[in-house]
Amino acid sequence: MNRRGIRWGRLALLLPLLAILLVGVLMFRAQGGFAPFKVPEEGSRPAALDDAQVEHGAYLARIGNCVTCHTTRGGTPYSGGRVFQSEYGSIHAGNLTPDPETGLGDWTLEEFRHAMRHGVSRTGPLYPVFPFANFAHLTDHDLDALFAFLGTLPPVKAAAPENVLTFPASWRHGAVLAWRMLFHRPRTQADDPSKPAQWNRGRYLVDGLGHCDMCHSGRGAMQSLPVEQYMAGGHITGLGWYAPPLDRISLERWDTAELADYLRSGVSRHGSAYGSMAEVIYTSLQYLDEGDALAIATYIKTIEPSLSRRARARNRGDLVTTGPASANGLLIYQNHCAQCHGDDGRGRGLDYPPLAGNPLVASASAVNSVRLVLFGGAAPTTEGNPRPYSMPPYVGRLADDEIAAVVSYIRAAWGNGAPPVSLDEVRALRRIPLD
Amino acid sequence: MPTSPSFLHRLPVLILLMLAAPASAQVGATASGTDAIEIPAADAQPAAVPVPDLREQLAACAICHGEHGEGATEGGEYFPHLAGKPAGYLLAQMQAFRDGRRLYPRMVYLMQYMDDGWLGEIAHWYAAQPAHTQRVESTALDAAARARAETLVYSGDPERGLPACAACHGDRLTGVEPGIPALVGLPTDYLIAQLGGWITGARSSKAPDCMADIARRIDPVDIRLVSTWLAGQSAAPGERPLPAGSVEPPMPCGSLTAAHDPAVTTEASP
Repeated sequence: MNRRGIRWGRLALLLPLLAILLVGVLMFRAQGGFAPFKVPEEGSRPAALDDAQVEHGAYLARIGNCVTCHTTRGGTPYSGGRVFQSEYGSIHAGNLTPDPETGLGDWTLEEFRHAMRHGVSRTGPLYPVFPFANFAHLTDHDLDALFAFLGTLPPVKAAAPENVLTFPASWRHGAVLAWRMLFHRPRTQADDPSKPAQWNRGRYLVDGLGHCDMCHSGRGAMQSLPVEQYMAGGHITGLGWYAPPLDRISLERWDTAELADYLRSGVSRHGSAYGSMAEVIYTSLQYLDEGDALAIATYIKTIEPSLSRRARARNRGDLVTTGPASANGLLIYQNHCAQCHGDDGRGRGLDYPPLAGNPLVASASAVNSVRLVLFGGAAPTTEGNPRPYSMPPYVGRLADDEIAAVVSYIRAAWGNGAPPVSLDEVRALRRIPLD
Repeated sequence: MPTSPSFLHRLPVLILLMLAAPASAQVGATASGTDAIEIPAADAQPAAVPVPDLREQLAACAICHGEHGEGATEGGEYFPHLAGKPAGYLLAQMQAFRDGRRLYPRMVYLMQYMDDGWLGEIAHWYAAQPAHTQRVESTALDAAARARAETLVYSGDPERGLPACAACHGDRLTGVEPGIPALVGLPTDYLIAQLGGWITGARSSKAPDCMADIARRIDPVDIRLVSTWLAGQSAAPGERPLPAGSVEPPMPCGSLTAAHDPAVTTEASP
């Protein structure tokens, strides 16, 4: 009897340990097992097949927007160093030029493919700010073209500055492994034969190279991207802009051709691109060929807004109202805004974006509207819109309570029906870094 | 809060004034983006090419720099004029904001997604506006201070290795085409901030960065003196920068080479 009790006691101790081990093993397998950590040691560095391959790679690098993250302001394109801020600290983008010491100069093609698909390089696992889950969808053909193109860049000796992170995020191997076990679920994406080729091409670009979900999806714990918040809209980590939801309902007002035009020109009669989207269009999407722009538009207009309502409700949490606005939003609107946006809020063509019925004005988060009123903005210059109109900055002209009042007014007026913005939110955004 | 009867009497007038403000502004903005305005006859530049009216597009600039780039708007007394400055200079500054050589967050933020073609058009548009090189403020300086400022401006300080301001910016201090800006018609605070910016590196030009070298050699007391004196000077109404080649800079300046480079000074499109 006694002996048996001891045995049960040991088992009781052992069982939770076994369970933890089992869960650990399962989670480790779920993130891909050992395979992602086996960086190919053998490989080659093939010369580019031909000019067409390099040209294809250059196009892919453009539309995949490699240059934006891997270049500092005014720096040599692709030489890395741009900083990404998060709640864990700052991470610097690597040097993609073929410098043997600080860049990809002595990487093999196999290593490049592996890092792109699995997020692990010869130096260990990469922080998930690098969208390897997206790049896992890329075909060998496209990855090889990208590598061939990067190999043609002039080598630049530029070591990325050290990351500045808090513990445990600073312990790269441990923290990234834990993060991967919790959140990384590798998926490959085969074409859906029931859908037209254009739709499949669009999905390939959006989920793969375009990595649109890095901004447009809602974020879960530890900056993860939960499947149920796919393209549900979200705040862009470190930059503070709000990326709106991309789905069948949010994009209802746009026809496919209009949306494709917008992706390349940065303007449309439904609104213009500012902030992070202006950057993406300026550095990347304006170079989309027409077919790819149409493919992207076709695909994103079919995304089901499955659970996005919940995500939207969560985003509304930051809109704390502090009683009725102390300034008269309508009067401020008439004095400063109506001249361009119209008394009816309808704007004017491609020049002055409509505010009435504009889902971005009425979106869950008011950060974009407040920032545009505070600091102004301009659509990017593109071939389709070489002389962009601009929104004047009202910081220094309107007080915080006036800005809260006028943004609350446009959020409520003309049937927009969105909740007001608080004075505190305006105050917080006034301090946001601009550059 | 009790409202006084006199306030109630004035209320309709106030509302009318508030409504009138945007209405009067609208008159100026009705010209469409394709209308051309002629460069004023006083313009010293050769070949007065019609420049498209960009006022609508440049609403964001106007709120601080004025509708025609006249500078120092109400509530924005700090901001410099753009009107009549050399196009090469204006373009180089916008590129510097965009490319990280001049760190002023609000300008960086507005310039960062604009290509050289558009920045060139903006530069030419402001360059073609009537110059605003007249005094924007006047602070009395005592005789000794005035004498010191005038010495620095017109003769420099050889002991400190300082060339005269006028040696590059022209005898009239109205700048020189295509890359040297006017020093008159600017607020004291703006001038001091620029010299400070060169010292800290918040403002920089292509190497060799002559203004950075100069700013680091001036005594801080002299920075205030010269800036205050300059802000009190006035050029003739509409007086433009001197033509290109009018001065021989006493020291090498990377910014001037860049401004002469045809690749950088884009022409205004027809």
